[in-house]
Amino acid sequence: MTKEVEALKPGLARSIAPTPALDEETPFATMMSLYDEAAAKLGIDPSNYAILRKPDREVAVALPVKLDDGTWTVFDGYRVQHNQGLGPFTGPFRVSGDLKIDELRALAAWMTWKCALINVPFGGAAGGIRIEPRKRSRGELERAVRRYTASLLDVLGPEKDILTPDIGTDENMMAWIMDTVSTHERTTASAVVTGKPMALGGSRLSAEAVALGLRTILRLALERFGAPATRPRIHLQGLGVVGGTLAGLLDADGMKIVAVSDVTTALYDERGLDVPALLDWVREHGSLEGTPSSAERISNEDLLRRPCDVLIPCAVPNAIHSHNAREIQAKLVVEGAHGPVSARADRILDERGIPIVPDILANAGGVVLDYFEWVQNRQGLSWLEEVIEKRLGRFMTEAWQAVLELQSRHAVRLRMAANMLAVERVARADQMRGIYA
Amino acid sequence: MSQSTAVAPGAPVPEAQQDEFNPFLAMAERFDTAADHLGLDAGVRDVLRTPDRELTVAIPVLMDDGSLRVFKGYRVQHNFMRGPCKGGIRFAPDVHLDEVRALAAWMTWKCSVVNLPFGGAKGGVICNPQELSMGELERITRRYTASILDLLGPDRDVPAPDINTNEQTMAWIMDTYSMHVRRTSTAVVTGKPLNLGGSRGRREATGRGVMISCREALKMIGLRPDETRVVVQGAGNVGGIGALLMHREGYKILSLSDVYGAIHDPKGLDMPDVIAWQQKHKRIDNYPKAQKLSVAEQIELECDVLIPAATENQITSKNVDRIKARLIVEGANGPSTAPADKKLEARGVISVPDILANAGGVTVSYFEWVQDRMGYFWTEEVVNSRLEQTMVSAIEEVKATAKKYSVSLRTAAYILAIDRVVTVYRLRGVFA
Repeated sequence: MTKEVEALKPGLARSIAPTPALDEETPFATMMSLYDEAAAKLGIDPSNYAILRKPDREVAVALPVKLDDGTWTVFDGYRVQHNQGLGPFTGPFRVSGDLKIDELRALAAWMTWKCALINVPFGGAAGGIRIEPRKRSRGELERAVRRYTASLLDVLGPEKDILTPDIGTDENMMAWIMDTVSTHERTTASAVVTGKPMALGGSRLSAEAVALGLRTILRLALERFGAPATRPRIHLQGLGVVGGTLAGLLDADGMKIVAVSDVTTALYDERGLDVPALLDWVREHGSLEGTPSSAERISNEDLLRRPCDVLIPCAVPNAIHSHNAREIQAKLVVEGAHGPVSARADRILDERGIPIVPDILANAGGVVLDYFEWVQNRQGLSWLEEVIEKRLGRFMTEAWQAVLELQSRHAVRLRMAANMLAVERVARADQMRGIYA
Repeated sequence: MSQSTAVAPGAPVPEAQQDEFNPFLAMAERFDTAADHLGLDAGVRDVLRTPDRELTVAIPVLMDDGSLRVFKGYRVQHNFMRGPCKGGIRFAPDVHLDEVRALAAWMTWKCSVVNLPFGGAKGGVICNPQELSMGELERITRRYTASILDLLGPDRDVPAPDINTNEQTMAWIMDTYSMHVRRTSTAVVTGKPLNLGGSRGRREATGRGVMISCREALKMIGLRPDETRVVVQGAGNVGGIGALLMHREGYKILSLSDVYGAIHDPKGLDMPDVIAWQQKHKRIDNYPKAQKLSVAEQIELECDVLIPAATENQITSKNVDRIKARLIVEGANGPSTAPADKKLEARGVISVPDILANAGGVTVSYFEWVQDRMGYFWTEEVVNSRLEQTMVSAIEEVKATAKKYSVSLRTAAYILAIDRVVTVYRLRGVFA
């Protein structure tokens, strides 16, 4: 359950990476099988599509680091760059003890699709350092991160590859990367990483981005699938950076949140929960545990199973799986977390006629904000909150409309339509650019 | 860019008329007139007449049949005082260095008159695209790009589409350049597809600029759009879109033409219907709900506004006396010759000159470059409203200059453009 705890703990990187654990051999193959189907439906020539099956470039580097005790050790670092048809690479930088290259390949490809779908001018990449961050001092981490950056310098840059924060990283690490690139290049290269501190070119609303995007998508989905009442009953799993922020936003919008949970506690009140009080408690005590709320104590499984209008899983991968999918009584599922519905559950919900707004679309607000940070760095201008909110709303809405359009044209479900849109955009760009030797 | 509708003159012209139709001489004559008004000395004139840099490259290409052919390509950078060079690349059998030089200078004045931070350039490859496969065109484009690579760059020289080049060509240039510099460089070229850093509103830009120029110039005559009869020569990106937008604003479009012929309706054409017909049949001369005319007859129709938006040298000393319009808005480049110009001016006909009237295209190219540099893309409304602001203030400035020097709009446009370049030149000084 460590993963779950991580996902719910506030203050961690806002985008916990996706790695849909499906039933095929490797994450990369699993990932690609989804897109094979999308490409086939679009009638894209398999020969044009072949390039998308392999990452453009994989760099593995050995990182010698002097430890605090004076000895030397060598860590492994990787960067997988999947496709740059639409623009420079971008994607997560991860610091983790069990970093797997195949997982990075899957993540990199996933980023390609996600950027294409949400229409930001980037291709996908992923990388990191195989270190257990909790077991290392700040000095050791800093030396490893700086050496990693220096080793990859030729393939990083604002127009080459932009690193975004992920598991095991914090804004200080992003600042080290920015500083290392800037010092080597003898420029101020703030646009080479996102997730920076505000003082070094970070963006406003960076932490709220995923929740803001989810709110927009939720509104659009309610319009499309018919809001059952003026105040739909919402079940929200997870009160971390995403779930907690979203709960506050929806409550302020006057929506009725009937059930919420974190890893310790799940609460239910048919009349609607007192969300601000719960959020205050979590802010003070770190979790819902011990809240004086008079709401009914239920289990996390109950939260998923009880009837509601919208179920928003914002916590862990595979929260809805083949064993509980038949009991879900929501009218609409919006994936706030990465991969909260397993592949089998996905099919079951589909058979049962429950629409699912897929994660790649619903939680893309984070990628849009990473992109906005890059734009602001290039402009040398810091956008105000209203500007960011308005522009983020536009990106989410345009992607939603494009997905709906494909969905009705090809009579497929939302997830497939989103994948098709992504593949189509990448394949079209690759086609236009051609092969240069 | 509006140039995409222009076609180089086909048949050789009789020697006696050549001067009237020579683009370099046409440009030089207009330049000299304006320079006289500005009182420029011989040295400065010399600097502004001479292209800063010219590059001729041999482009070896492996043809589909296995043979090897060498094409010739040019890039001329006329002047980069006001900023990086900007100008189209054309693929045509009759590309000639002299013509490329004239067009490069034209781009300097055009960018300056609408106050874009660019100098002028032009490029071309001598080839006949009709006889080339897509693969051969791609290899020509990439080798040409690689050969002139040292001249190119977002801060050096930014090409754009022109005759026989399009967004696919621009995508190849962007890809070739990006691969060489090992980063994504979208701002190195404009006129790209939307998904590769292109701008919204670019396709309509020149036509929209023509519509705005016409509206602003009509204020000088005191005509309202709904009482204005318009004849448009050319039904492409400039003429067709211009006519459609003007129809929407309430103008009465009497006649429209394409290379096959003209159509005419004294009550005004139903433009959306005409464009729908054109999209379906790829031509308009056979549009059934209007009378047919020849292109030569069309240009002489009784009307208030004539918009030549097809090719150069359409209003010449031969037909100028039969032109009945009160206002001419030059959608094409160089549609009227210098001698014809003088006669029109003497008769009190107002001409909105090409470097101003069709600058909407290069303006949105500039917007594309700006958007690529920041990596953020404007909505179509933002593009259109900024285009509107840019065009309207350029026209206001040209009108004011015309008043100040008591000259035609054309001479005023050149005076304004040249003066801006000279001012910057004096500030920067001669670097040695």
